[in-house]
Amino acid sequence: MFDSLKKKLQNIRTKFASNIEEAAGVGVEPPQPPGKAEAAAPLARPESPAVLEEREKPTLINRVKVFVREREILIQEKDIEEPLSELEMVLLENDVALPVTDEIISRMRAELVGRHRRIGDSVDDLVVSTLRSALCGVLGEGFDLLRYVEEHERPVKILFTGVNGTGKTTTVAKVGHYLQKNGFSVVIGAGDTFRAGAIEQIVTHADRLGIRVVRHQPGADPSAVLFDAVQYAKAHNIDVVLADTAGRFHNRANLMNQLEKIRRVMKPDLVVYVDEAVAGNDAVIRADEFNRTVGTDAVVLTKADMDPRGGAAISIAHTVGKPILFLGTGQGYDDIMPFEPRAVVDELLGR
Amino acid sequence: MLETLGNSLKDAVKKLSGKTVIDRAAVDELVRDLQRALLSADVNVKLVMQLSQSIKKRALEEEPPKGMGVRAHVLRIVYQELVRLMGRPGEVSLEPQTILMAGLQGSGKTTTAAKLARYFQRKGLRTGVICADTFRPGAYDQLKTLCDRISVPCFGKPGEPDALAIVREGLSAFRRQYEVIIIDTQGRHALEENLIEEIIQINEIAHPDHRWLVIDAALGQQASEQARRFHEAIGIDGVIVTKMDGTAKGGGALSAVAETRSGIVFIGSGETIEDLERFDPDGFISRLLGMGDLKALVERAEEAVSTDEIDVNAMLKGKFTLRDMYKQLEALNRMGPLKQIMSMLPLGGMQIPDDAYDITSTKMQRYRVIMDSMTPSELDDPSIIGSSRVQRIARGAGVAPEDVRELIKYYKIMQRALKGMRGMDSGRFNMQRMMKKFGGPGK
Repeated sequence: MFDSLKKKLQNIRTKFASNIEEAAGVGVEPPQPPGKAEAAAPLARPESPAVLEEREKPTLINRVKVFVREREILIQEKDIEEPLSELEMVLLENDVALPVTDEIISRMRAELVGRHRRIGDSVDDLVVSTLRSALCGVLGEGFDLLRYVEEHERPVKILFTGVNGTGKTTTVAKVGHYLQKNGFSVVIGAGDTFRAGAIEQIVTHADRLGIRVVRHQPGADPSAVLFDAVQYAKAHNIDVVLADTAGRFHNRANLMNQLEKIRRVMKPDLVVYVDEAVAGNDAVIRADEFNRTVGTDAVVLTKADMDPRGGAAISIAHTVGKPILFLGTGQGYDDIMPFEPRAVVDELLGR
Repeated sequence: MLETLGNSLKDAVKKLSGKTVIDRAAVDELVRDLQRALLSADVNVKLVMQLSQSIKKRALEEEPPKGMGVRAHVLRIVYQELVRLMGRPGEVSLEPQTILMAGLQGSGKTTTAAKLARYFQRKGLRTGVICADTFRPGAYDQLKTLCDRISVPCFGKPGEPDALAIVREGLSAFRRQYEVIIIDTQGRHALEENLIEEIIQINEIAHPDHRWLVIDAALGQQASEQARRFHEAIGIDGVIVTKMDGTAKGGGALSAVAETRSGIVFIGSGETIEDLERFDPDGFISRLLGMGDLKALVERAEEAVSTDEIDVNAMLKGKFTLRDMYKQLEALNRMGPLKQIMSMLPLGGMQIPDDAYDITSTKMQRYRVIMDSMTPSELDDPSIIGSSRVQRIARGAGVAPEDVRELIKYYKIMQRALKGMRGMDSGRFNMQRMMKKFGGPGK
């Protein structure tokens, strides 16, 4: 996952570094296009009269002053304009939604402009730490499902939501398998009573995995099915109830109301929103809508194996402000991976 | 968000009107807003950059034709370039043919296969469907259930692991009896080598006349790459965009069209089997940009931008008739979801009941047909429609009387919503009057 983003980000890093390095050369000269000054060595030339003022505005005078007095340079906006717009393109190309991209960029700009930098210090460190804090800020913390189940009263009820075709049913099967492997007992509620073949699909998965499914007829009220699943778990001392639901579009009021009813009836401990890693800008809109109607406690991103750019992860995490629980990475039951934001960001920035 | 994009685009266009010389800054601004609109509609970043370059270049270099204003000139260029990007709508011939469906997991191939079967069936062709999805549990049940509902035969062998064998058998069973054969396949993506190999082989045995790629409207920048690999493998000659009933703009489909040098054939826009539409480039462009019908704008470019389509003022004055609703539905057809349009209108924070938005495009179509069967006086004053008129209208439109009543109910919901708004307005007015009465700074 994140391969393409990773490669590009590393290019950008060097770009930032070299631009800021160039800017160091411009320090004492009258302003000139940053491209021309790359050769100038950062020498201290104590000739410009320093005006005593303590603002960090990167005006020429201040820059000179800081440069002279503290042997530091002040980063100004035009030094980083080009790499920033390049970073913007990289994020967009990697499916980070437009509003989220805008925010990351402005965060980077705010962080970098006006910062002092010691001449001896590595530019790289400065850029990396800024990028890291911008990305970490967006991705948030991870979510440890096993610990959650461990620490909460059984049965833990997990409701899966999302639009059509994102892979809810497959994810339910995978999560069931994951929990089982880790020693928890699981029951699945076949709450997708709408889509033709959905019940058959989840039953086949569950049979292969040896998980019990609570099901009704196609067309039955999903709330009733899932309520029964919870009752079943209580009666049989089962640890976790996984509730599958029909895919629905966030702009269909009656379907969203139905989901709201499901939530009221089964009272899930966790509402997990499932979306695909290949989704573009719409990911933000629908994640937001689901979050507002039924709430979202965690996110699962599926189809991360499709040469994923990872942008959707950043967009969705940023929009709902909730942790990403798993990545779905293939067609097998084991193809699911707990998401660790720190590891991902480290990976992205090559640490 | 998107509505504001549409608006800023409109503002940028407005700035161009009345100018006699092309203003570089205004063009720059227009292009920038266009870029943002397209990027947030998931159009490929490189395509967007190319497009904006050539628009900028043409806008600044080409002389406007005599008699054409600057705004009309620039709009025409934008429109032409967008249409070029869009490709021509894919051809659909109504003759015997075999169609192979391909696409990513969860893009909606199976549902679309059934919808296509319905489309050809309604055109009077004998149609059969083959389920070659051997992987996903329940895939055959799904297709079979959908096909049974429309009495289309569905060939499949749940449990058989070899998709090629199924296709071979299915074709030999169907070829003589059926004119149109649709082959549904398992979802796959470009990096799954063995699955790509499988679809290459299916393509070789089946010799399909068409190989259509199904693309989820929400697919992002990944669309180009996926389309490219599918195209390399089997030679895609048409794209179907699904899930256009959500809020996704379908820009990914454009990337796919550009990669495969084909065109968009159909648009899937709902969960029922009838919700499949032929592709309409103008409607698609409007939706991408989140603004009204660009073509109409180009044609009527000298008029004011936003006075057309829906007469908000008349509506607010309380004259909301079926005619207004008809106009509204017509505009809707071109502009995408109602919610979006309503949010473009200057209604302030007015809340409109969600039921009012919950209307599918097929329903809209039906409403328009029903309204076509009404007399002018009925359109002007819907309250005169009694049960015998309902009967007559239903017969004229070829629908059930319930449909006519449903339409009237919808009309009433809308009317009530607008009334509420008016209430707010006059409320403020009353407040002012009251203030005066209570001896404010009267004289």
